[in-house]
Amino acid sequence: MCVGEKMRTIFRILCALGALCCHAVHASNEDYPAELIKAAHLQNLAETAQWRALLHYRTNAWTRGVTGQADDAKFYLAVDGKTNPNAELAATLRAFFAPSIIETDTTQHPQCLFVGRYHWLKQALHFDAQRLPEQTCPRFSAWRAALQPDMLTLVFPAAYINNPSSMFGHTLLRVDAVGQNEQSRLLAYAINYAANPQGEGGVTFILKSLVGLYPGLFSISPYYVKVKEYSHLENRDIWEYQLNFTADEIDRLLMHAWELGQVRFDYYFFDENCAYHLLSLFEAARPSLEFTRRFHGWVIPTETLRALAEEAGMVRKIVYRPADNTRLRFQLGQLNDNEQDWVAALAAGERVADDPGFTRQPSERQSVALEAAYKYLRHQYTAGDVDADSSARRSRELLLARSRLPEMRDSATPPTPQAAPDRGHGTVRLALAARVENSLDVYEVKVRPAYHDLLDPQGGYTRGAQINFMDLGLRHVEGSNRLELNELTVIDIFSLFPRDQFFHPISWKISTGYTHVGAPGEVPIALYRTHGGAGLAWSLANHTQVYGFAEVTADISGNLDKRYAVGGGASVGLYANPLDAWQVHFIAQAQELRFGARHREEFMMLEQSFALGQQQAIRVSVKRERVWNSTWSTVMLGWHTYW
Amino acid sequence: MKRNITLGVILALAPVSMVLAASNNVGCGVGSIIFKGQSGVAPQILAVTTNGTMGNQTFGITSGTLGCASDGVVDTPAKVSMFIDTNMDKLAQDMSVGSGETLNSLADLIGIEDSAKTRFFSMTKAHFGEIVSSDRVVAQDVMAALNRLLAADQDLAIYARLG
Repeated sequence: MCVGEKMRTIFRILCALGALCCHAVHASNEDYPAELIKAAHLQNLAETAQWRALLHYRTNAWTRGVTGQADDAKFYLAVDGKTNPNAELAATLRAFFAPSIIETDTTQHPQCLFVGRYHWLKQALHFDAQRLPEQTCPRFSAWRAALQPDMLTLVFPAAYINNPSSMFGHTLLRVDAVGQNEQSRLLAYAINYAANPQGEGGVTFILKSLVGLYPGLFSISPYYVKVKEYSHLENRDIWEYQLNFTADEIDRLLMHAWELGQVRFDYYFFDENCAYHLLSLFEAARPSLEFTRRFHGWVIPTETLRALAEEAGMVRKIVYRPADNTRLRFQLGQLNDNEQDWVAALAAGERVADDPGFTRQPSERQSVALEAAYKYLRHQYTAGDVDADSSARRSRELLLARSRLPEMRDSATPPTPQAAPDRGHGTVRLALAARVENSLDVYEVKVRPAYHDLLDPQGGYTRGAQINFMDLGLRHVEGSNRLELNELTVIDIFSLFPRDQFFHPISWKISTGYTHVGAPGEVPIALYRTHGGAGLAWSLANHTQVYGFAEVTADISGNLDKRYAVGGGASVGLYANPLDAWQVHFIAQAQELRFGARHREEFMMLEQSFALGQQQAIRVSVKRERVWNSTWSTVMLGWHTYW
Repeated sequence: MKRNITLGVILALAPVSMVLAASNNVGCGVGSIIFKGQSGVAPQILAVTTNGTMGNQTFGITSGTLGCASDGVVDTPAKVSMFIDTNMDKLAQDMSVGSGETLNSLADLIGIEDSAKTRFFSMTKAHFGEIVSSDRVVAQDVMAALNRLLAADQDLAIYARLG
């Protein structure tokens, strides 16, 4: 081997002296691609998990073979590279022999553009640097050097208050640099897979993104930009999962992220979303993970967290980063009513910080109040509730007053919630229930693919946020000889957030789906019902809330007079957690459907759940209802399991 | 009615949203006035989330040179100014308190040794009124004031070289 190398070197030197030989060298280089392609073929490299991960090949569902998921002609070098891993590998190897170029903002040598493929193939095939000269990749090298990677962290912004739909959530990947710690993570970089709406917004954007009409792209930004977006603007708590990847794996991931730089993947909410694509990055780092094979397309971000947490030794540490408002609420919680009044008055500018009534308080109490007043004012400003000039002036005055008080222990960091999001119940729920309804035995089985309702086990979820999606219920009624479709809830959102002196959220709910109205055994009517409302909620005590809602209902059914019924009504309720594992919900509702098939509906229900760990629960409920002119009662006992 | 409800459901379901109001500080970040960042952008009821959209100051990984970033990472000369510009509200809060993640990150960015941080933190607290000298300061004013104060402090003078 060594002798051969030497001979070749000597040959080359001789060649350099005489132009005649150059033809011979050229000929040998021409052979080298073929030689490598043959070697790759012998090793079956195109069939390996690493090649599959790097090229984003997925096994076809219905036909033989694979298809690459990138929707970008630039990414596959062979004409049939999207479906032919062997041809793609050969084309990639040939591309590496391209003559050197000067890199610009828009051009890179194939070895740099596909730096992940290059380094993996170089290692697998032991490239001969004499015959395949390695290119310098100044842009990639500068980028890699700027990141100084030390650790990867998966970042999960939890749902934000009063918007249960955000529970579906988002994940991004943070690249932590050497020397950073929990007090300097803001300086890390975050890699994000997101749709690029190209300036379009609103409903157009939403509809188009649902069907994959926008390009999804990987992007990168300082982590502080993301923290500002999530913690400050959206007020979402963030969970950071620090992961155990080796230095080599981190390098592979970054090289692969670089090759995906400008590559388009059509963004589909229901197919290839952010969480899915981050999993594909992890696979490039460690192909044995095979996450994307496990998840088939759509991934709820919390499922990603669970998948990582289940990999032995993968999660190094979980860090909780409370949102600005979570910190504010925590500080307000430390103040008594009188002190809270001061916070409100200081933020509103009704009182100033050198008011003798205020400065008489102990300096520690003043500090907490001033810090809370500043945060509250910033919150109001972000919400657009206060004038820019006067709030800016007051903000500075509050901080100036705070700066004149001594340093204090940190009063703004709440304790980390006991259950991190990966510890929450699984989002798929199977429910088996037995009911005595209108004196008949009814057995019911329900399946809900996503996500969480008010009475599901709380840990790991945002309290007061419910979203049930595609909840399907089949039932068997005594005396009948068949299993019938009882209900199919397409979507059911309930957002219950209490009001107080500082925050004035409107609680709301909306649900739509197929259901039955009326007592079993009599003539229940199958209909498609859409029901929604808005209301107010207040906390009576810790974890006990009461609420009142105004509501509207619209039914469509061939079984109804005039085929529809529309009306409105109201409900009042109480929602409480006497214990972590014990939840209670009482609701009384009356509706008057005044248009179409006119009738009244009323019910009262007390529902309770008892969590048996995170993945099982028992539910019991009693309900008394009147629809049209019949009145009946229901007692239910059910068992829920989650995965 | 029904259409609105359908629309409401779509809005509530969608993981994505309108892009937040265009940023006033993409790039080097020297223009934002303190306490006057984005207003009226807090998500409202039924507001769809920013899950899955490209935000501000976010660039493609191989996007080349844009503003003060190359391929998405901030160029060294702009690091401090962009950090201050983006985080001024938080930074001001931390300086008034005398501690905090944002202030500590700034100290790291400036290169202040751990042993000198306590002094740096107390200095920013003691001179808060000079650093945030009015409610109209921008990142450059904050940097200039910090530079002046660092230079005047014999233990911290070696760090007085903010661009």
